[in-house]
Amino acid sequence: MRKQTLSGILGVLAALMIGGIVLALQGFNPFSTYGALLQYSLLSASGLSAMLSRAVPLVLTGLSASIAFGSGLNNLGQPGQLVIGALAATVVGLFVRLPAVALIPLCIAAAMVGGMLWSGLAAGLRRAFAMDEFIVTLMLNFIADYFTLWAITYPLFDPAALSPMTRPIRTYAWLSQVGGINASVLYMVAATVLCWLLMSKGVSGYEWRIMGQNRLFARIGGCRVDAHYVRVMLVTGALAGLAGGLMVMGGPHRFVKGLGANYAWDGVMIAVVANNSIPGTFLYGLLFSMLQQGAIGMELVTAVPSEFIDVLQAIIVLVVVAGRVSLNLMFDRIATRKKLRESLQ
Amino acid sequence: MMDGVLIDLQHISKVFPPATVALSDVSVSFRSGEIHALVGENGAGKTTLMKVLYGLERRDRGDILLRGAHVDFRNPREAIAAGIGMVHQEILLIPEYTIWQNVVLGAEPVHALGTLDIRTARERVARKIDEFLFNLDPDAPVGSISVAARQKVEILKLLYRDVSVLILDEPTAVLAPQEVGQLFLELEHLRDKGHTIIFISHRLDEVLGLSDQVTVMRKGKAVATSPASRLTKEELAREMVGRSVVFAAERSPAEPGEPVLVAQELTVRTTDGRDALDHVSFQVRSGEILGVAGVEGNGQFELVNAIMGLSAIAAGGLSVQGVDLTHADILARRRYISFVPQDRGRMGASLPASILENAIMTHHILDRSFRRWRGLALNYRRAIALTRQIQDQFDVSMENAAAPFQSLSGGNQQKVILGRELLLEAPLVLMDQPTRGLDVGSTEYVHGLLLDLRNRKKAVLLVSADLDEVFTVADRIIVMSRGRLVADLRTEETTREEVGFYMLGGKDAVHAQADA
Repeated sequence: MRKQTLSGILGVLAALMIGGIVLALQGFNPFSTYGALLQYSLLSASGLSAMLSRAVPLVLTGLSASIAFGSGLNNLGQPGQLVIGALAATVVGLFVRLPAVALIPLCIAAAMVGGMLWSGLAAGLRRAFAMDEFIVTLMLNFIADYFTLWAITYPLFDPAALSPMTRPIRTYAWLSQVGGINASVLYMVAATVLCWLLMSKGVSGYEWRIMGQNRLFARIGGCRVDAHYVRVMLVTGALAGLAGGLMVMGGPHRFVKGLGANYAWDGVMIAVVANNSIPGTFLYGLLFSMLQQGAIGMELVTAVPSEFIDVLQAIIVLVVVAGRVSLNLMFDRIATRKKLRESLQ
Repeated sequence: MMDGVLIDLQHISKVFPPATVALSDVSVSFRSGEIHALVGENGAGKTTLMKVLYGLERRDRGDILLRGAHVDFRNPREAIAAGIGMVHQEILLIPEYTIWQNVVLGAEPVHALGTLDIRTARERVARKIDEFLFNLDPDAPVGSISVAARQKVEILKLLYRDVSVLILDEPTAVLAPQEVGQLFLELEHLRDKGHTIIFISHRLDEVLGLSDQVTVMRKGKAVATSPASRLTKEELAREMVGRSVVFAAERSPAEPGEPVLVAQELTVRTTDGRDALDHVSFQVRSGEILGVAGVEGNGQFELVNAIMGLSAIAAGGLSVQGVDLTHADILARRRYISFVPQDRGRMGASLPASILENAIMTHHILDRSFRRWRGLALNYRRAIALTRQIQDQFDVSMENAAAPFQSLSGGNQQKVILGRELLLEAPLVLMDQPTRGLDVGSTEYVHGLLLDLRNRKKAVLLVSADLDEVFTVADRIIVMSRGRLVADLRTEETTREEVGFYMLGGKDAVHAQADA
């Protein structure tokens, strides 16, 4: 665990340095670029607020991927589960007449059920026809994409709009700002804490983790791995769906075309960088949202194009993941040498 | 340099990270045309040393000389090209291919246009079989021949590639006693034809009977090399273990009680409709150890899987303490069965998980005190208590319950698994090769545990490919051959030869003896 933290910090620093070199080679000043990045994310109130809102889909889809991968499941359907969840929340927000106290929880529940429905479909296909969830969840992403596009282009289309989008959901379903921070951030933090409790304290988390490491051992030990498979699919689908719902309720308050963007794939990437750890997913989610938010400001005040941040993210992923392995190899080599010397004395 | 030295290993060291010293400054010379045994306990470094020579493992220090010249094989292909070949413990052949097809695979003679020259290939293999008096049919599919014959095919593969040094890793481990004699005749014949044979073993009688030279390894060091004719079994054992060894464990007569496990006409079918387990019936009573003997791959694994619910029972019935478990799910079985599987890393534990996480498996389901908050949360205090109990009661040397399970030595891993399973206090204990890969000390410990279980009136089913082990602890021995139960014998009233006879299915045994 401590080794993991060390390799993470070293990896991020090394990646920032490599990024700085890339910037310098192209004739930009790395210090002012990173300065602008920070200025428009962490160091200003509006930047911080926007960064935290942006972190919501990144962290939640990241948690979804972390739990799935950690339990040995290849759920790669976060993008589809996210938009289906967003659509479900939108529909409830558009048509259900209830006061905020009831409507907000109902919208959130709808988002989670929507995500569960979509991942549950993949789980069902696996149970019934032994279809691999790896390919099924990937393909369901396309169906979800075009289904939601159809829904916002025809039945739910806002006649006043110029591009595909729904009408705004009822204001009772809007998430308010709490002390300058969008309430969706609070739901994200709460979800992270719950996931952490589940995975590190819960009986289910224990069995899921063991199942991810050695399914046969878990099975022989008496864990009901088939039931767990379905449960993990549903929970991770719900997390991705929740991400979609919170995005609608906290942001544009309607389902606009391209809502899901690349968030869910970034979430999958975050899970990989975090090695499926829950706190790690949370922290890397914040880091990536900081970079993405800061990129907007960086483009404003420097001549560096915001695409640089995509490069920097990729460098972080590569350096941290490769660094984790090579750091372990390095520790091993040091231990080998020490042991060799001892044994020959 | 000594005359006739073919391979000279000098000061070889190898560390498996983080801290396992597999070889420490090992120097051994192998002379041309000798049978040289490498003996030692499991974990002494015999196989690792040979893998270093064969190019399968990198060494951290030391030199390898072949005919006086430095060599450094980066992979087995280079070693084979230099005339050194190794037969591993696991046999790696394609069952659907015939013997000659398996032998030429990867080194096929071809026509001018690059197509396989079937006639030449088959002829060359047939000629090699005749040259070395191997008594094999080149056109027989490998899937249809015995384990002993498959082993010969592995040796033939190397001879076909003109290897002059043969390294055999525990070749007798999978053979019946009669087959061992046959193998030894063939190895002596090979030596007389000028081949050098390095023979890894921990069975002392075999070593003394077959080899010219014996090198003893202990804890990663080469202790001594001497001619076999100057050694006795007792001396060899003392050098191997570093202390005197008692060969026969103390075993009082059993006083069995009621039947605990009752298997009736148990049948398991493979996907292609074959009976992997063919109407097997037996009982294990409380206070009794029943040993299951047999050449590996004759239905023992299927029997274990059927009892544990890992493979479906096609016909027949299974009950423990009168409870019908024929079609019960695994969890229901776990209330009645403690299970120590043969493959620790695959079935017995999760290697990357912590020791604690491995120690509480199954307990956390069957024992409510392991859960809190309406069964949702793990009770870590209880989990730690159980881990400590296993550590104390089963004498596990470990520093930290949160350390990964794989950081423990093999013997300690097995003790954690044994502790976990035996503390379940189930009426039936099923052990599948419980001492495989363990050193002499740990093996003695496990045998002691088995006898203790018997005295505490548990029913014990012990599946073992090691006949010595079965004869040491079992009260009764059943023998399996081709998925069938072919004999049910009382240990005091039988001999290794008789059990070996049944292991070979009766008929084959007569055949092998006639050959010898």
